Amino acid sequence: MGQESKFIEFDQGWADMQKGISKLKRLLAGEAETPFSTREYMTLYTTIYNMCIQKGPYDHSEQLYNKYKETLEEYITSTVLPSLEEKHDKFMLKELVQRWLNHKLMVKWLVRFFHYLDRYFINRRSLPALNVVGLNCFRVLVYEEMHAKVKDAVLVLIDEEREGEQIDRTLLKNSVAIFVDMGMGEMNRYQNDFEVYLLQGTTSYYSRKAAKWIGEDTCPDYLLKSEECLKKEADRVYNYLHLTSETKLIEKVQHELLVVHITQLLENDHSGIKMDVLCRIYLLYNKISQGLKLVANVFKQHVTAEGTALVQQADAAASNQASNAPSGHEQVFIPKITELHDKYMTYLNSCFQGHSQFQQALKGAFEVICNKTVNGSPGAEILASFADHVLRKGGSEKLGDDDIEERLEKIVKLLDYLIDKDVFAEFYRKKLARRLLFDRITNDDHERSILSKLKLQCGALFTSKMEGMVTDVVLAKENQASFQEYLRNNPDVHPGFDFTATVLTTGFWPSYKSLDIILPTELVKCVEVFKGFYEKKTKHRKLTWIHSLGTCHINGKFEPKQIELIVSIYQASVLLLFNESGRLSYSEILSQLNLTHEDTTRLLHSLSCAKYKILNKEPSSKSISQSDTFEFNPKFTDKLRRIKVPLPPVDDKKKIVEDVGKDRVYAIDAAVVRIMKSRKVIPHQQLISETVEQLSRTFKPDIKAIKKRIEDLITRDYMERDPDQPTMFRYLA
Amino acid sequence: MHKLGRSHRDKVQQFMTITGASEKAALQALKANLYKRYKDPYTDMILVDGITLLCNDIQVDPQDIVMLVLSWHMKASTMCEYSKQEFFTGLQALGIDSLGKFRERIPFMRSELKDEQKFGEIYNFAFGWAKEKGQKSLALDTAIGMWQLLFAEKQWPLVDHWCQFLQARHNKAISRDTWSQLLEFARTVDTSLSNYDAEGAWPYLIDEFVEYLNENGIISNAQSMTDWSKK
Repeated sequence: MGQESKFIEFDQGWADMQKGISKLKRLLAGEAETPFSTREYMTLYTTIYNMCIQKGPYDHSEQLYNKYKETLEEYITSTVLPSLEEKHDKFMLKELVQRWLNHKLMVKWLVRFFHYLDRYFINRRSLPALNVVGLNCFRVLVYEEMHAKVKDAVLVLIDEEREGEQIDRTLLKNSVAIFVDMGMGEMNRYQNDFEVYLLQGTTSYYSRKAAKWIGEDTCPDYLLKSEECLKKEADRVYNYLHLTSETKLIEKVQHELLVVHITQLLENDHSGIKMDVLCRIYLLYNKISQGLKLVANVFKQHVTAEGTALVQQADAAASNQASNAPSGHEQVFIPKITELHDKYMTYLNSCFQGHSQFQQALKGAFEVICNKTVNGSPGAEILASFADHVLRKGGSEKLGDDDIEERLEKIVKLLDYLIDKDVFAEFYRKKLARRLLFDRITNDDHERSILSKLKLQCGALFTSKMEGMVTDVVLAKENQASFQEYLRNNPDVHPGFDFTATVLTTGFWPSYKSLDIILPTELVKCVEVFKGFYEKKTKHRKLTWIHSLGTCHINGKFEPKQIELIVSIYQASVLLLFNESGRLSYSEILSQLNLTHEDTTRLLHSLSCAKYKILNKEPSSKSISQSDTFEFNPKFTDKLRRIKVPLPPVDDKKKIVEDVGKDRVYAIDAAVVRIMKSRKVIPHQQLISETVEQLSRTFKPDIKAIKKRIEDLITRDYMERDPDQPTMFRYLA
Repeated sequence: MHKLGRSHRDKVQQFMTITGASEKAALQALKANLYKRYKDPYTDMILVDGITLLCNDIQVDPQDIVMLVLSWHMKASTMCEYSKQEFFTGLQALGIDSLGKFRERIPFMRSELKDEQKFGEIYNFAFGWAKEKGQKSLALDTAIGMWQLLFAEKQWPLVDHWCQFLQARHNKAISRDTWSQLLEFARTVDTSLSNYDAEGAWPYLIDEFVEYLNENGIISNAQSMTDWSKK
């Protein structure tokens, strides 16, 4: 080889380098040229080497460094850029990819030639390495100029592919790779110059598509298309985009296709969404973050709307009926609600895999539905009426035992959604009382069954009174046997006709008003006799007679035929007056019985203006006035020998709600004291929230009400405010 | 012990010389004299007539709030009467053993109302003192009277609205809790109610009062206040 460390003048040395560089350029241009031999390469390398090791002012490192850069720049400016500028779109991309490849090659070779600079010069001067400089040249001169156009061209191709056309995926892959390369280790160029536009473009593309499809397609079709698109986009990323874009891209597509139009999508199928579609929806949306929550929301709204529609239907139907007619609308309404519930429970369990989001949505919807008022009756009352109907005679005898059990189950399930469970309990108790006392029970087992279900769901306290009522009636029957014996043993006190009394434990039964009616003597005797018997049996008990619950069988000796009348005690009292007097005026009846106007009117109406005209009224108008007179109607008859003369019950709805209100006050007191006793010291907010929680099983207490009770308890010295911290309460033992 | 004034000291000296008693005993005897002056002829207590006489002597109106302060010093259990024990407790606490001393102490007692801490104690004391014996709550009329008296001193701008509100909406006795919390309310919540916390531990009646103020437009929120002032 014979290298001579001879002194090289700059210009001479550079001229030699130029020859090598020109050869390189020709090679890159694809012209016929022999590749570099080892000797050629070594010569070039050594030239640089020699020029750099020369001492003093002849160390041409710096000039060479600059020349290196200039070479590349000159080449780019004269050759590369013009070739790119004359081309467009995918042709431009092709050219760019080629030119980039070339450039990398060029830099590679030049770096080899100029390698010596890399070893010492750059470190000494803390300058960028040669290949960095090289790449930078391209970046600054070519990329910076062109990247917007490149990005546009790429996106156009992507959209073409989305529309179904075939495109050159390799070209795209290489083009996208340039963005990555230009980051030189960082992803910032890819992200800022390409990815952000990719995402924007994707968003607008799918936004348009979604808007179009949502109007045209059925839900299942739309979902299929969406699934397709998602698959394709994932494929796209895998094939020619950078992997880091996958999550972001998919997210955008999901958002445009599935999230934006979700309400319309889920509501658009007029025939109702089929189960398999729902399953598909579940699977699709499960992949989107918060996706299930969105679906659950739409689900909840949908269910609530359907339920509310049923409520309104029932409301309209009920208010159309005559206001006197007993409301039977709950017979239709409750089963419909149950049906609705079952339908959506099925969806919940099969399509939505019992997911908690949907469970909550269903619960939320039914809580709204079940607590609505229908024609003035709160949901609690309606449910209680329905239960009453199922359990009493003439209600559901046609149904088999299993059916009845099923209905009872459904009732208890719906109860779970009621906020005012204590109102339900109160109405249920009232109706249970009527069933027990007026002998309307069909099946004892069913009564017990529902009580045990209620106990399971709401706790023993909820059902303790009801169970007490049932027990009372059983005991009363036993009692009756010993009363009969007593009568047999004391024939002189026997009133002269059959008579039974049922003893009820006050605490278990609903509260009843007891009118101060003056009973006919026959009935007074019964009262006395029983009192005598009872006091022999038990001391220390006080008997209060509730005549409103009693019935009387009276023989009416009418001219056509004798008819047995089954009436309430009050009605009996009115009728028996006519045994003494042929004709009585309203005011006479009122004073002889010691009744109020309201009650007198009600009673007389039932006997003279209703279905059975047992009394004749003068004048014979349709309603009772205080100037009317009455007399026994001897001509009365009916095809039956025994009739029941109904007395419409007073609407005690308001009273029941009032009673519940009073009980709530006690319940709040008890809860607050319990909490204070266990906590000893507690901040105000916590006391309120714990009280609400404790009572949530039965009802939702009003915060103001709790505050009032707290104050009352303070006044009664159960608790006090902490003198230093007025927001803390202490228990006073 | 007592810083006796000149003429007073002479009197005590006189007393001591005549009776041969100790200073302490001498002072006790003087106090006892005072008590004898006011006590009721039939019971061992000072009743209404005695109190009227006392007020006359010390030149204070019986309705004057300073009488409340005096009662507080005495730890009197109920208004319009003082037991012997209470009377002496009061005299002792205030360092009074003569009418002159008594009169001198009046300005001091008035000044005690200006002390935040003491005012609070006097205010809370007033509840127990003003209510009927054996009752747990304070009758509304009495409460209103006391509030007007007390808040004339302390200056609470909403006191009249408060009293009106009670007469219109509440019409029942006032609990101790409400009484004591009202002072807190007057102290801490500003007149535009901007720092009133509806979720706070205020008694129910005070929450109602705030509602009443809002309903009747007595308190508007800051926004509308500024608008109004722009006109």
